[in-house]
Order: sequence, then C-alpha cells, then structure tokens
Amino acid sequence: MKRRVVITGLGIVSPLGNTPQLFFDNLIAGKSGIRRMTTDFIDKLDTKIAAYADFIAQDHFTRHQYSGMDRVSQFSLYAAQQAIADAKLDMESIDKTRTGVYLGTGMGGANSIEEGYVRLYRDGAERLKPFTVLMAMNNAACSQIGLEYKLSGPNLTFSTACSSSAVAIGEAMRQIRHGYTDVMLAGGSEALLTFGTIKAWEALRTLAKEDANDPGASCKPFAADRTGLVLGEGAAVLILEDFEHAKARGAHIYAEISGYGTANDGVHITSPTPEGQAVAIRGALNDAGLKPQDIGYINAHGTATMMNDNSETAAIRQVFAEFADQTPVSSTKSMHGHLMGAAAAVEMVATALALKHQILPPTINLHIPDEKCDLDYIPNVARKNVSVTHAMSNSFAFGGTGAVLILSKEVH
Amino acid sequence: MTDTLKIISQLIADKLEVDVETIKPESNLTELGLDSLDTFDIIFSAEDAFNIKVPNDKVDIATVQDVANLADSLISEQHPK
Repeated sequence: MKRRVVITGLGIVSPLGNTPQLFFDNLIAGKSGIRRMTTDFIDKLDTKIAAYADFIAQDHFTRHQYSGMDRVSQFSLYAAQQAIADAKLDMESIDKTRTGVYLGTGMGGANSIEEGYVRLYRDGAERLKPFTVLMAMNNAACSQIGLEYKLSGPNLTFSTACSSSAVAIGEAMRQIRHGYTDVMLAGGSEALLTFGTIKAWEALRTLAKEDANDPGASCKPFAADRTGLVLGEGAAVLILEDFEHAKARGAHIYAEISGYGTANDGVHITSPTPEGQAVAIRGALNDAGLKPQDIGYINAHGTATMMNDNSETAAIRQVFAEFADQTPVSSTKSMHGHLMGAAAAVEMVATALALKHQILPPTINLHIPDEKCDLDYIPNVARKNVSVTHAMSNSFAFGGTGAVLILSKEVH
Repeated sequence: MTDTLKIISQLIADKLEVDVETIKPESNLTELGLDSLDTFDIIFSAEDAFNIKVPNDKVDIATVQDVANLADSLISEQHPK
C-alpha cells in the first residue's frame, strides 16, 4: 500500500507576517505586503516597490549564529524552528537518520555574493570575509537546518527558479511515500532584494509599474491593467510526515499532500506554454487519483505578467474543460509578491490554511477583467464558508520547470 | 594588558556576545567556543582593526594572546615606526 504523506507543521517568514496565522489572516483581509522600498539605492532604481519581510535577525538568533548566515538562511532556519514547534515534533526522540531537509531557492545567498563584490570591486578591498562562501552557497539555507537539528537524512537543495520550492516539497513527499524517510522538512527560502538582483530583474522588463495611487496595489494578476510581477522575499518550511508516523504520535494534521506533478515546457527559457503547464497539472491529478471536478480551489502561479496569466488560464481551461468555470482560482501573489524560490512554499501555507479554515484567499487589485483571463479568480474579496476537499497549487518557472501540488483535507 | 590585546579580546567578546572580562590572555580559542572558521573571522576583523594583512599560511594560534602576538608582529612589520 502507498504510504500517505501529511503536513503536520507550518512555519513562515513573509511580507504579510512571520507566523502562518498572521500571514493567512492578512491574505483573507486582502491586505498587501507590497510597499515602496526604503533602501539607500532607491534613486538608482526604475522599480521602487517590493515585498519585504519584516525580519530582524537579532530578534531570533545570537550574534554568533546570525553573523555566519546569509539572510536567506536566517529566514529558512527561523521558518523551520516555527514548523517544528507547530508540529510538536520532539527533535531529540525522532530517528534523525530518517529525517531530511529539502529546500528550494532561486538565488541562494544573494546578499553575501553582492556584499563581497561591493567590497572587492567598489571598495577595493583585498580580502573577503571568511564566511563568504559558506553564506553565499546555494545549499546553505538547507544545510543550516540540517546542522541545527543534527539531521542525517537527505539534505538537498532544488533550484528551478520560481518553482524551486514546489519541486522541493514534491520530491520530499516522494522520499516519504517511497519509504526512504519518515519525516521531511520541506519548503523554500529567498532573500534577493539586493541592488544588483533588482537591476537584473528590471532589465528583463517583467517587473510591475508602481500603481500611481497605491504602491500596495501594484501587482494585479489576471487584470487587464496588469504590468508585471513584484519581487518579494521570505521563506516557508513545512513538516511532512508519513501518515502512520504522524498518527502514532497523535500529531495534528493540516492536510495530505496527495498529488505532485512536474514537467518542463521545453520551448523557451521565459515564455511558458499552456501545453507544458497542462502536463504538470495532469501529472498532479493522476498522481492523486483525482479528476478536475474534484479540485475545489487552485492557488495559481499568477505572477501578473501578461504571458504567465494568459498561459496559465489556458492551461487550466485545457485540463479542467467544462469544469474550469466552476473552479475558483486565486493569485495570492497580488498580496505577498513573488517570492521566487520560496513562492510555492508560502503558497502551500496559504493553500493548507485555506483547506483548514474553508476560506479562499482572494486575488486583489482585480477590477478590470481581461478577456483572455476569464476564470473565477475570487476577485478582491475572500470567499468564506466554502466546501473544498482538494486544492491545487501551481508553480511555473523561467527555464520551463512547472510543478503542481495537490492537498487533500482528509487522508483518502 | 596591551592595547592590541584589549582590542582582540573585545573582538572575541563581541563575536561571542559575552562580557570582555571573561576573555583572558591565556584563554584557549576552542574552549571559548570558537571553531576554526570563527578564528579566521577574528583574524579578518583584526586585519581591519589594525590595518594589517595576515598571510594565508600564518594562522597557527591557540590562545587569545597568540592572536595579539601575531597582530603585534605584523603591525611592526607592516607599519614600521
């Protein structure tokens, strides 16, 4: 019999708060975490909005701890600490050889890389800080969690741009399902709001223009007046557990991860195709043994770029066919921005809590419909008292890797 | 206590977030809780503090006094009065 994998703990650092409940409450209230930046390099930016996490390392770690970790690792470790506490997981008594960590990140220790370059190229320094490599390397955010809890199960970092943490969670689920581990800490972390990274994104011409009246309303997924994505930062870590393992210790279960599908467009490095996205969506449905009509909510990738939102809508229409119009879809990126390698992980927190509370978060800033985006996007106001048994979360990425996860309210 | 020793002790105390009074010249760096990477970090901070350059192979130190001695010898070598 197939081993079932359940979520028993959640932890988050986000532009909408640093606890899962606060994050979800803000989503349901339709609040935006996007704001005007206050950095010292703002005058050199064309794009002056972003979704920062209110996170001060000194509040959570000793100086000795935080000085050896990039912001991306501080995020991931703090999210992991929360998730472990939430799951009431006794880290001393668990089998550490059967507990692993899978994390997604796009840019890894971007702050440390950039700080090093600034010292070298701008300030003319001859040496870099001894911790530079260890803070900048892409797997640091994942390995810091393994180190903190002395876990000797698999510790792997996934980097597939915007779908990184969906892949990390899906592959972690398979580790447990296939019997290699019993517990996995899985999610993603991203801290890329540096001058150099933002300039690189500007050059790609995919960033949203600042809304003239309200900077917080600049990200407008699926709307006719959408202008692009808003960069964000944060992390989320989920505790995934073999269902029998969770049951035996009386753990609270948020949801089952019942399906995972991943596929590559194989067409273009930035332009998505509905066909490629549909392969990932179908893969997740087949994996869960579900039909499109079983899905009661889709947390969309919904970046608010012209291309993504058109393509994702078409992909949902392809797979869901006559059931597409009755399936509510929302993009919570309208509120928390695009967290890149952490995006899918924070959206899994949103989806898990939507299932638990039976409230669907809205797509805010959707006032002018786009004729090519014609699904039910839960515009502007959360939908309460719903009856959703299975929910889907989509992630698509530059490079073409799409990953789709399905959560089920009850283990089925 | 020399000025160099005072500054080195303060760098270590800051890193460990402890009272500088607990850092003695004879204190062993490992026993204070500093691993090899932390020691490199202290050396890096000392380079900034004293405007010296510590050669990459010259890190054979065990105590706080060793770090101060290393710094003193490099200061006199690299900034002769």
